[in-house]
Amino acid sequence: MSQNNYSKIKTFDQRGWVKENLSYKKDPGSWAWILHRITGIALIGYLFLHIYSLSPLTQGEAAFNDKMKSFTSPFFMFIEWLLFAFVLFHSLNGIRIVLVDWADGAKYQKSLYVWSWIVGVVLFIMMGIVMFSYEIGLLAK
Amino acid sequence: MFKYQSTKSTGSKSWVIQRVTGVALVILMIGHYILMHYNPDSGHTYGAVLNRMSYSWYRIIDISFLILGMYHGLNGVWGIFRDYKLKTWQNYTVIALLLIFGLAFVAWGISIIFSIPYIHTTSAH
Repeated sequence: MSQNNYSKIKTFDQRGWVKENLSYKKDPGSWAWILHRITGIALIGYLFLHIYSLSPLTQGEAAFNDKMKSFTSPFFMFIEWLLFAFVLFHSLNGIRIVLVDWADGAKYQKSLYVWSWIVGVVLFIMMGIVMFSYEIGLLAK
Repeated sequence: MFKYQSTKSTGSKSWVIQRVTGVALVILMIGHYILMHYNPDSGHTYGAVLNRMSYSWYRIIDISFLILGMYHGLNGVWGIFRDYKLKTWQNYTVIALLLIFGLAFVAWGISIIFSIPYIHTTSAH
């Protein structure tokens, strides 16, 4: 928002917030905020799911191994890989937020956003290679 | 609800705690990922879980990870709700639901951890 736009500031419109959020031009910080929020909601949802999916531990070895078998299929591994992308973004952008709050990061927050993407994509690809090393080995044969 | 809050309670404390727990979670998450995905068995077999859980310090780390993650997550969700000016009764409903679900799932998680017997199996990874 430019400096002399204060007269145009409206009161918060609860019904039109989707439209309003979509309407303004977004800086890296806006995108970081939106993605941080989306990944955060997904991760807390996953934590509930994670507790539920580990609950067969109380029923002993057979029940647990049976449940875990469904999570080792390539489809679930792909989902887990995507989950790692969410964890990566939320963690790296979280570090960015901490630096903005406590280490004068407001001065370099835009380059921090770019760097969090670079580091994130590299770690994401590395994790993919580790997770799918068996499948990659099959392809290489 | 927040109309009558004093300046002493601006939410800055929860903001700081959110930062501190966030940093702690990043550190714990790195360890979690290395342990769970070192090989496909380490995260997905009962024997590997038994092995880890035979150490009390591992149980302590697991429980603190669970509590910190749940607190950080639900405080974050509450932060989202605070962005949308809800009515007082709506705020209380949201807080009550977050507290009930958070406490119930933390209790469930801790009870799962305690249900695992202390057995060190040498055959597992």
